[in-house]
Amino acid sequence: MSEIKSFEDVDFFSDPSLTNDPVPYYEHLRSKGPVTRMPHRGVVAVTGYDEALAIFRNEERFSSYNAAYGPNPLPFEPSGEDITEQIAQNRGDWSIFNMISTFDPPDHTRLRLLLKGLLTPKRLLENEQFMWKLADGLIDEFIGSGGVEFVNDFSGPFATLVVADLLGVPEEDHKKFRRIFTESGMRLGSIDGVPPQAENPLTKITGYFYEYIEDRRKNPRKDVMTDLALTKYADGSLATVDDIVNLSAFLFAAGQETTVRVMAAMLVFLCEDPELQKRLRADRSLIPNFVEETLRMEGTVKTGYRLAKVRANVGDIEVEPGTPVMLMISAMNRDPSKFENPNEFQPDRKNAREHLAFGRGIHACIGAPLARAELKVAVERMFDRTSDIRFDERFHGTADNRKLDYMPSYMARGLSDLHLVFDAKA
Amino acid sequence: MATITYIESNGAAHEVEAKNGWSIMENAVKNSVPGIVAECGGSQTCGTCRIYVSEEWQAKMPSATPDELAIIEFAEDETPGARLSCQVVMTDALDGLVVHMPDKQYSM
Repeated sequence: MSEIKSFEDVDFFSDPSLTNDPVPYYEHLRSKGPVTRMPHRGVVAVTGYDEALAIFRNEERFSSYNAAYGPNPLPFEPSGEDITEQIAQNRGDWSIFNMISTFDPPDHTRLRLLLKGLLTPKRLLENEQFMWKLADGLIDEFIGSGGVEFVNDFSGPFATLVVADLLGVPEEDHKKFRRIFTESGMRLGSIDGVPPQAENPLTKITGYFYEYIEDRRKNPRKDVMTDLALTKYADGSLATVDDIVNLSAFLFAAGQETTVRVMAAMLVFLCEDPELQKRLRADRSLIPNFVEETLRMEGTVKTGYRLAKVRANVGDIEVEPGTPVMLMISAMNRDPSKFENPNEFQPDRKNAREHLAFGRGIHACIGAPLARAELKVAVERMFDRTSDIRFDERFHGTADNRKLDYMPSYMARGLSDLHLVFDAKA
Repeated sequence: MATITYIESNGAAHEVEAKNGWSIMENAVKNSVPGIVAECGGSQTCGTCRIYVSEEWQAKMPSATPDELAIIEFAEDETPGARLSCQVVMTDALDGLVVHMPDKQYSM
């Protein structure tokens, strides 16, 4: 951020100077109070932890219509004191307004229950067994070279294939799924505007899933995909193929960038602090809280969005129906009234897990247990197979001149790439 | 109006006017009762909305499913009467319900 430009003039949603280090901007907003009107796009920003919790838990007054769409101009002109009906009529078939994360009850409730059926404790346990094997297999690909570009060559394919296994995608198709996400990312919250629908990798994913589900309904067999194909709604009736396919694709989207970037952030902390790396290697029981503290400091979802359906209070500010509310998750995770010395990374912080990296309320990340397992397994396997992991200084400079580039997005926080070198264990 | 009383591990009691159709968890978080985290928002995946319910009240609720029991076990909570408050829906039969809450919802 240039020193001449004042934060008052900065547009958080398009300014590239904020993506590498957004924290000073969060602190600027916080200095105006836990809830504040932003100078751009009519957005009300929430940086306070308690104020945010109240919004996360108030789906009666706040719609998730704009959860993925962010602060972009609404495709309709809000009118009247209750815009619930307008919201329902303006979803069209655009996927950005038709993901489960954007729905309100009762549509959201129906799909959420369906999703819950896909993520049973039993399925999650089996999936974790797969993670250990998968991590080993991916590490095999680069262990001999002494280095890796961690984002694209480990965490990316790891996250894709964990979801593939969870949903029962046959192993012979895993390569295809890996390729889909290597070729194009989701680019949600791009500071260049809304990415075109045609570039969305989910279109390809849904294609495969229509084939799988229809095949398993005709030819049921004993596999996870058949269980998926025969998923039932809460009332016991068979789910529509559309709902199953869309939810499956959504799980890929939701479990991709998010996990990938936090995984890379963990490695950054481990490279920045070799003593910490030694301590965690020596005592693996410290890893889960290290994971939570990483989620608090470097959770991928920087900002979430709600749309006021009716006149409502956000903290002390009254907002009109149709007002976009930005929940600044990375800022509330650094709220000093909740987290002491919030800008310090403290892997043994007692209340680290109370972060809001997974959101709260009816839209809380349903994959949180999956993500936590993935993050733990990734660190543990990297520790198992190496004795020391460091930044590759050819790409990231030396400690006094570290260069780390983050994605140009106001929604997602995460490294564009992370080049590591390591000593392989024999 | 039906009521639910939530009692913290330190004895502090919070009585709320309960809404039928909402879970015991929703009735707590929407009334800002401390002690129920409900990290996953009622999806039965996190085990952070645990309550302890007497046998007398348990008899008026549907019993826990294997999935609910698995999550409670995963939370390493062996307290008798442990339930996930997100899985119990408020009904007229539960008017006057009293539940106790753990001193912390996180095991780590």
